[in-house]
Amino acid sequence: MTNVDDPAIERPRMDADVVCVGFGPASGGFLTTLSRAILNEDGSTAIESPSAPGLPLQVLCYERADDLGFGVSGVVTRARGIRESFPDLDPAQIPMAAPVSDEKFLYLLDPVGASCRPALMRVADVAIRAMGGVLGVRDDAMELPWTPDFLAKHGGLVLSIGQFNQWVGQQVMGSGAVQIWPASPVGDVLVEKDGVVGVRLVDQGVTKDGKPTEGFTPGMDVHAALTVVADGPVGPIGRQLDKAFGIPDGHHTRDWAIGMKFVVDLPESCELEPGTVIHTLGYPEPEIFGFFYVHPDRVASMGIFVPSWFDSPARNAYKYLQHWMLHPAIWRHVKGGRLRSWGAKTLQESGRRGEPRLAGKGFARIGEGSGSTNVLTNSGVDEAWTTGVMLAEGVLELLKNKQPFTAENLEAAYVNRRRKSWVDKEGRVAERARDGFQRGIIPGLIGMMATGLTKGFLSLPGKSVPPHRRVPTFEEYYRGRITPEEIQAIRKESDAKGISSHAALMERAGWPAISFDGELLVSHQDALLLGGKVQAPDGYADHVEFIYPRDCESCGSKICIEMCSGQAIFPGENGRPSFDREKCVYCGACLWNCSKGNPKDSEKGLIEFHAGAGGLHSAEN
Amino acid sequence: METILFLTPTEAGSPLSKNALEALATTKQLADSLGTTFSVALWGDDPKAAADGIASCGAAKFLAVTGAEFAQPRYATDAAAAEALARAAAATIVIGPAGSRWNRVLAGVAHRLGGRADSHVTGLSVSGGVPAIARWYYRQRMEGILSRAQRPWVLAVESGIAPAWQGSPGSAAVETVACTPPATRSRMSGIESPPTDQQTIRPDADLLFVTGAGWTKKQPDGQVKTPEAEKLILGFLRLARASLGSSKSLVDLSGEGQATLTFLTHMNQVGQTGSTPRHAKGLSTCCHGEEPHTVGWRFVGERRAISLDPNCGWSRGKADVLYVADAFAVIGKVNELLAQKTGG
Amino acid sequence: MRVRAVCTRRKTKPMPEYQIVVCGSVVPDPLQTLEPVAGPTGPALKNEMMLPAWLDPWAGHALYEAANLAAKNPGSKVWLVALGPKAKLQQTMMTLAQKVPFELVALDGSASGFTDAAETATALAEAIQSIPGIDRSRLLVFGGWESASRGAGATMQIVGEILGITDQFQGVDGIAVEPDGSLKILERIEGGRHQVSICEAPPALLGWATGSLPEPRNNPQVGMANMRTIMPALQKAKPAKIGAEGITYHSVSLPKQARDTKVVKDLPPDQIAAEIVDWITNK
Repeated sequence: MTNVDDPAIERPRMDADVVCVGFGPASGGFLTTLSRAILNEDGSTAIESPSAPGLPLQVLCYERADDLGFGVSGVVTRARGIRESFPDLDPAQIPMAAPVSDEKFLYLLDPVGASCRPALMRVADVAIRAMGGVLGVRDDAMELPWTPDFLAKHGGLVLSIGQFNQWVGQQVMGSGAVQIWPASPVGDVLVEKDGVVGVRLVDQGVTKDGKPTEGFTPGMDVHAALTVVADGPVGPIGRQLDKAFGIPDGHHTRDWAIGMKFVVDLPESCELEPGTVIHTLGYPEPEIFGFFYVHPDRVASMGIFVPSWFDSPARNAYKYLQHWMLHPAIWRHVKGGRLRSWGAKTLQESGRRGEPRLAGKGFARIGEGSGSTNVLTNSGVDEAWTTGVMLAEGVLELLKNKQPFTAENLEAAYVNRRRKSWVDKEGRVAERARDGFQRGIIPGLIGMMATGLTKGFLSLPGKSVPPHRRVPTFEEYYRGRITPEEIQAIRKESDAKGISSHAALMERAGWPAISFDGELLVSHQDALLLGGKVQAPDGYADHVEFIYPRDCESCGSKICIEMCSGQAIFPGENGRPSFDREKCVYCGACLWNCSKGNPKDSEKGLIEFHAGAGGLHSAEN
Repeated sequence: METILFLTPTEAGSPLSKNALEALATTKQLADSLGTTFSVALWGDDPKAAADGIASCGAAKFLAVTGAEFAQPRYATDAAAAEALARAAAATIVIGPAGSRWNRVLAGVAHRLGGRADSHVTGLSVSGGVPAIARWYYRQRMEGILSRAQRPWVLAVESGIAPAWQGSPGSAAVETVACTPPATRSRMSGIESPPTDQQTIRPDADLLFVTGAGWTKKQPDGQVKTPEAEKLILGFLRLARASLGSSKSLVDLSGEGQATLTFLTHMNQVGQTGSTPRHAKGLSTCCHGEEPHTVGWRFVGERRAISLDPNCGWSRGKADVLYVADAFAVIGKVNELLAQKTGG
Repeated sequence: MRVRAVCTRRKTKPMPEYQIVVCGSVVPDPLQTLEPVAGPTGPALKNEMMLPAWLDPWAGHALYEAANLAAKNPGSKVWLVALGPKAKLQQTMMTLAQKVPFELVALDGSASGFTDAAETATALAEAIQSIPGIDRSRLLVFGGWESASRGAGATMQIVGEILGITDQFQGVDGIAVEPDGSLKILERIEGGRHQVSICEAPPALLGWATGSLPEPRNNPQVGMANMRTIMPALQKAKPAKIGAEGITYHSVSLPKQARDTKVVKDLPPDQIAAEIVDWITNK
């Protein structure tokens, strides 16, 4: 794929002390803590650089996206770790931040009749409708009388991650102690003997297949005593480390979700206060949870999570997101508003069970890609931040005592610290919280409640399997609702048009067509292009790779096409999917939405997701 | 009371251009609105010819700086001439037609006179006895209307504000203003044009034809048809005598090793870092889902688009008509019909 | 008799060592939504501090051309004099510093399109005059011919006037050093053509259009080297008070964009073609 292994290519080399891969909340926590210790108040050096004597510690962070603000997700967080790092934090300093003021939990009934609900749920729906008056059912939704404690975010903050990352980046860069480089994707980790010695940046000036052109610039090798990998749940460097050093026994990353969301300018008539947090469940499909966070100035982030245990081969977040937004209980707040931006991202839902090797010789891992997300409370930002802080504290200790970054030293200084922290403690409570969902939505909800209320003592067991082993065929999924012949016909027509099939299938299955109003309801591509917001700088190879294209030819389901958040993967020639980098938002859905297993690694599908530049380009996400 | 001056360079022996005549009309309008007169100032090798062409425009005075050294477009000499003329007229408002030659110097001239300049003026009005201009900010995304206190106020006005002045030529009584050509180390040595068969930019064309990335992408039948695209586009430009604009992505594609249209350069790019051409009509084709930043289309009057996607950005409020069709087929037929009509 | 061979050697000047000072500011990322609002000191952009900032595109081209010229003429040096809010300059440097080597002179002030070009120019000219070791006989001042914010094309002219440089060129797309050391410069004029001018020697001022160079690739080594001087320069950024004295904005508004689009879906291409030809040929 890349020219990585070609020994004939001469690569420039640079030496630093610490190199970070990825800039998000985890790197934010790491660099904030580290940068404060590198220089003294008067600007003189407090920690000298071993690699460049006379200079302060040389710390570099390489981020793939165009700019630091281009992350995705409106979040609500209890911000414990973040507040510890910024004791005087005033939410007004961070654009779009608001303290949590109100929290609601809504069970959404199905106003349309197309939702695929288990029998028990249908019974409950009937009962709820019947007792509507008593239960306060309004706009086809029932508000739970209380928010379970383990989900509640009191004292927390509603944030735009894009704005938060930008703000943190500014603070960190303003210290003058650390360099953060956007538009610099890291392609490979450099492994020598039994440890990591640095990273290699992605080659530039290549064709989409990775072949050098006239302007070929080989990616530089950056050597450092410590490589901090913070590249998120779908980061390729994390996966390379897993391959090189293995993952702990019994651990796996089989559970995922796509979070897809809109940022909306709420209509003047909207009465929701900034800091309002609404969680939803039950619609458009029972497996799909929704969220609605209100920022200041009448702006809201809202969206859905489509999990890997939602066993539909035609799952696609965008259409479901529109139907969710049209649900009366949501629509009543947004009708008359205007869509501002859109984004999508993969979430790691295996939590602590997805924890890889946290440290080794010359490397350490932090953030969502290190299994820090709490899958019971559905929080990840503060946890990621705190793992970064803990690593920095450990690193500073080692530097002070002039100890090398060996596996043992990092275990002692970082991993042990992490084990004793609230992140790990609460992560252990959460570890089995979602197992029940493997069996269905009802067992899952029961299991989650049980785990939450007993603080991890009880849980409903359920064994997860890699996504490709659980996703059914179209025929199986639509049995009883659409005939195999009709499915064939629809798919053939969609293939000929070069588009995915889920829209047509959903309509055929009873979902009403959505008429676009150009304000809130727009086509998928229009959402992508809202203001021209997906970038694909030229000179980079395609970062989505179909490993065995011949196998794709015979693939019946091609859920990669259905699930692609940006419609960047679409039907191509001979039944092989095609990839258009100009539409890719780097959500990573393709990584876990392949219906075939990889013969060389049973945990994986047939799509590899490499590093690349560009992608979603919006600071409000 | 303002002292208004219409100021423009001239080309040897030529009458004033359409843009200049429009600026003259705009100047006259302003003077009338303020209830005052205006003067005309020209410079160049032989400004008398140009002055005679507008002899009956109603100017109180005709001033000129004459000389071979002032013939060529060049900062030092143009600024010196303009400065001398503005001082001689004791002008408080100076109006010139926007164009590369005046745009090059007007701010420098204003600075010398202790005043301020505004370029790309798209409207001139009087409110409460005070002149105000309209101009665009942030790449034509927003329009501002403003007045300035400082004088002289030096302006470059775009065409389209007022119809070109028309009147009978005569003999203008031109006062020569002395101006010593300043020392300068620069001189114009020539003009470079793109090869005539590739002259695709026609600012005076009635129609702007904008090509998007969809022309070079795979068509519904799975084929890339770049040679055919080239033929159709160049044919249309010739037959419709249209000017060619392009979306950014199509211009950028030349760096990606994809089949591209050989005659496209970044000079054709419309919008964003491209140009904002002025045409009565605009036809957009194959936008390939690109958000039609009407940034570049600000001054295009009637807008139509051809795209295979009925939900593309043109369909909602950005075009007058969107034809959902295959541009290859439509333009092919259009060229046929145009050829019949024009016998070309 | 001694025969002396007479050699004629063409006199070429030694390679010039230019001092190229590029002026550029930050503009909001053009791909974001921009909306005007009334601010305390005049019009401003909604959520301006939230919008990511880039170096103005034409100033960017000017910088790359400067670096290219400097690279071809060893001993030359490039400065970037940038005026903008400090936080935004910092953000811009993260993407820019990896591209080409330059030294930064930072001024902390407003880069709003609604400020007066004359005030901006005065601050820039002052900063240029304060650069130690500036030698007029080697000085080339580059910038974008217009900005993506104010779009006036005025700032560079005024900078030139204050510095006493009357060899000025705007809408530049190319510069070449002739064998005799003179500069051949291409400026955009009407009709897609270029005017060719010869400038015998610096000082000269060039307001660039797009030039002819592709955007340089990110080079971490360049970045590292640049950051050593850029970081301190940012910390030391001098405040510059830039306003809009004398300007009264009566209104700033977004244009009304919505037209009533007629979507024609089911006509065959031949009929559409006929309609279009009709539309084109009728006045």
